[in-house]
Amino acid sequence: MPRLLLFYRLMVRPLLQEQARAALTVFAMALGVAVVLAIDLAGSAATGSFRSSMEAFAGDNDLEVTASGGVPEDVVGTLVSLPYSIRISPRLENYAVIVGSKKSLPLIGLDFVGEGESFAQMDSARGVAPQAQENPQELLEHFGDNDSIWVGTSLGYNVGARVQLLINDQVREYTVRSVYPDSNGAESAIVMDIAAAQHALARYGRVDRILLKVPNAPGLEEWQQRLRSALPVGVEIHPQGTGTNENRKMLAAFRWNLRLLSYVSLVVGAFLIYNTISVSVVRRRPEIGIVRAQGASRGAILIAFVGEAGCFGLAGALIGLPLGRFMATGAVKLMSATVESLYVSSRPGAIELSFTSVLLALAIGVGIAVASAYSPAREAALVSPVEAMGRGRREYDVNVLKGRDLWLALALGLAAAAASRAPAIGGKPLFGYVAAILLVVASALAIPAFVHALTMFSSKLLGKLFGVEAMLASRSLAGSLRRTSVLVGALSTAIAMMTAVGIMVGSFRETVAVWMEDRLPADLYLRPGGSAATDRHPTISLGLAETIEKLPGVAAVERLRAYEIFYQEMPATLASVDLDVLRAEPNSEYFSGRPREQVLAELRDSNAVVVSEPFTYKHGVKTGDFITLPLGEKQVTFRIADVYYDYSSERGSVLMDRKTMLRYLPDPAPSNLAIYVAPEAKLETVRTEIEQATAGHHVLLFSNRDIRVEAIRIFDRTFAITYALEAVAVIVAVMGIAGALLALVIDRRRELGLLRFLGGATGQIRKLILVEAGLLGLLANLAGLALGFALSLVLIYVINKQSFGWTIRFHWPMEILVAALTVVYAATVLAGLYPAEVAVRLNPLEVVHEE
Amino acid sequence: MLILSLQNVSKDYLTDGQRIPALSNLSLGVKRGEFVALVGRSGCGKSTLLNLAGAMDFPTAGQVLVDGISTSSLKDAGMTQLRREKVGFIFQSFQLLHTLTVFENVELPLLLAGKPNAREAARERLAWVQLGDLGHRYPHQLSGGQMQRAAIARALIHSPSILLADEPTGNLDTTTGNVILELLRRLAREQNTATIMATHSVEAAALADTVVRLRDGKIEGITRR
Repeated sequence: MPRLLLFYRLMVRPLLQEQARAALTVFAMALGVAVVLAIDLAGSAATGSFRSSMEAFAGDNDLEVTASGGVPEDVVGTLVSLPYSIRISPRLENYAVIVGSKKSLPLIGLDFVGEGESFAQMDSARGVAPQAQENPQELLEHFGDNDSIWVGTSLGYNVGARVQLLINDQVREYTVRSVYPDSNGAESAIVMDIAAAQHALARYGRVDRILLKVPNAPGLEEWQQRLRSALPVGVEIHPQGTGTNENRKMLAAFRWNLRLLSYVSLVVGAFLIYNTISVSVVRRRPEIGIVRAQGASRGAILIAFVGEAGCFGLAGALIGLPLGRFMATGAVKLMSATVESLYVSSRPGAIELSFTSVLLALAIGVGIAVASAYSPAREAALVSPVEAMGRGRREYDVNVLKGRDLWLALALGLAAAAASRAPAIGGKPLFGYVAAILLVVASALAIPAFVHALTMFSSKLLGKLFGVEAMLASRSLAGSLRRTSVLVGALSTAIAMMTAVGIMVGSFRETVAVWMEDRLPADLYLRPGGSAATDRHPTISLGLAETIEKLPGVAAVERLRAYEIFYQEMPATLASVDLDVLRAEPNSEYFSGRPREQVLAELRDSNAVVVSEPFTYKHGVKTGDFITLPLGEKQVTFRIADVYYDYSSERGSVLMDRKTMLRYLPDPAPSNLAIYVAPEAKLETVRTEIEQATAGHHVLLFSNRDIRVEAIRIFDRTFAITYALEAVAVIVAVMGIAGALLALVIDRRRELGLLRFLGGATGQIRKLILVEAGLLGLLANLAGLALGFALSLVLIYVINKQSFGWTIRFHWPMEILVAALTVVYAATVLAGLYPAEVAVRLNPLEVVHEE
Repeated sequence: MLILSLQNVSKDYLTDGQRIPALSNLSLGVKRGEFVALVGRSGCGKSTLLNLAGAMDFPTAGQVLVDGISTSSLKDAGMTQLRREKVGFIFQSFQLLHTLTVFENVELPLLLAGKPNAREAARERLAWVQLGDLGHRYPHQLSGGQMQRAAIARALIHSPSILLADEPTGNLDTTTGNVILELLRRLAREQNTATIMATHSVEAAALADTVVRLRDGKIEGITRR
């Protein structure tokens, strides 16, 4: 208790006397904690607790039977005929859009007839309880109807309600026969009888999955082996929910990268805590001497300063907790949209601020604060009482060893270069992260020499250009080299991350824009209505392509078809192109550099495919390798003819000739149409003709330009969260600058007062502080730009490549960079306004004579 | 003609809502070139008098006239201008900026005032105080006596009419202190600068033309030589 009292008197009370500065440090820390917490909570909600939306009604089944392009229906018969007591639940799975609300929901076809009794009773094993308002027998009768559906309560429909659904490119009206409780929408789906679903989807003879409930004995692996032997070769059997698990694995990299980005704010916060404690140590040097002389041990001094940092961390974490929970609400929306457009259809779960999350926030806040305070606290502990009292306020930068640190920085830079050349480990760019960390540390070590050189050599020039205040500001920064270096280090780290991610995203954006020029050769594109997602491939009615083909202004129609498949337990897209229609493109989109027609000619009538760049990285394959794909009931081996650049999805794609695909998956319905307008025809006229010809079908027609604009919109939305994270890091740094300038003003009050004695006007004092803020911003911008450039190379050529497998061409996004750096610079100068006012209000009589 | 005139000057400070008188109805005139020593115990009002004389503060009552200009009639900018033109300060603890060289410290008042040819003036003033060859050093590379000489050069850089010195030898050993006092005395005479020095030292006061003894904010006695 007496020690706590002492801690309060000697450490906490002085903080309370400088409320503005203490508040800035605490709030900066709170923002850092909040961002990490928000990304963690949002990540858990959007991806961590990922459960495929198709898992609604999966119940307690043990195994699932799947095949690329669907499982032949006769497999159900094969399974039924086996002498085992297993429950067999075939399912058709797709998506439907409620026409009024435009809400997209899983459409699940269940075998009500085959499993009628259990559905009517809705036993708990199915995962949901019944809320039917009719008797079971009547319910069964209606479920056989082609217009009967079963919906979740969260949709707000009553039994008997009529609902219009867009399925593929057709709108149909259905009657709600029953509603079920759907856990606040988490289990929400449109459920209908499998026959009705086949009718609606025009998919006959195949189901998407067959779920199996097997007896407890023998074990699941034994059952898997037994049943596999009874299935055709292309049909696979896995534990139920494998797709969900694989998707979850795929999302892990996305979540991991976002999480790392969120730590940038904390790193910046750590710099600031280090600075705050360092300032505290220097200021209280005489006090340290006094309390040491009075009997305090070195350990007590160490604990006191570490404790001070711990207080900052704890206060920051306590404020960061509700702030992070609040920020998670926005983050989860952005993350879910990205997951949906780049990865897989899913619904975000609820944001749960669990006990673990609270502990994590507290541990991060206190841990980072304590770790970053350890060095200055140790320095305080090592001061001898005589020295501390005798020499009074020692200069802050006594221990800065610029030359040695510069050599260390060079060595770390070289180590970073070496690390960036190392391969990924377990699919994760661990050495890429190491390279990035080494670069940040190298930059921090090089900054004192950089700051010293620039401030010393520029002070005369600054004096001539901006007056004596600029010269004084420059000298002052050079005079407090350690403090200045820490501040420049903090802000430049934030700026560097902003610059690096800005360059990476700008380069990616430019690469995608150029890529789309080549990838979208057709004039118009047509797809079924409803929202697009990378794992959804609704089809267009048969015959529509032929109708469009016959229109006068149409030169050709290319039919594209895509399926969702699993290759080596990872989701991928299997697509086909119509080789009879494809046109030559000016630029090669292939690794080999060969023209498109030459590459695709190899696919014609042969078991050859081209694969996307991300596919090669995910599965470790290259041109000339062979891959075996389960197609329908067959296992088919294909040769990889070439690899193409693809930025539409990171899951990986396999492209084959349409005729080859139809040989194994004989469903001719296309997923998309690419329409080429005849050279003599007018695009708008043809468009109108197509719109008239497709009346009655719910399809979306896009021009080449529309698609590009939409793609860029999705791209920008995807990276909005990264910009938000960097903005927070910069805000943290700017707040730190404000706090540090305030400390600087308080520490230099005697000097500022003296200037008033020597004829300095209040305006000059204000200008002096603002110039210091401006110089700090300038130094941080220069250092941040240099570090950011180096980091962007690591991001583009190492981390991105090893995480997602995309080749990004380097591009300077000048407009974004100039705008962002200007905003940061202006913010830094503005951060000096309050400290400048404090400096102006100092009473020179008091501050000059107080020593 | 008086370069500094304090007429019935009183100065009160408010501390925790209580009025604490620092100077009470004090009158004093100082001529150009006159060397005045203010003596008295700590808290008798020496520093307050210097602050009022140096246009650093306003009197609560009465008038302070610097070269005929009443400080009470001025605002902050006017006070700053008055200091830039008429007043130089010397402090007990030298108050040199450690980030600036001796040259840069000395020329600082001229630079703050936006005056040209600061370096030439600094060179000349440093020659006055026999520091001509140490201009490029930093304060921490100087001895205490050298630092105070640099501070004197700085105080004289703009040829002030009034030089205010607050315990200028307080941080120096006796020998060095005497050298500094001699220097101050000589420069005051040569430059015709009125010098007002607050001191506890009997030896220092002995060098002055006029010794003003202060007690409890009032003049106890004036000795002119």
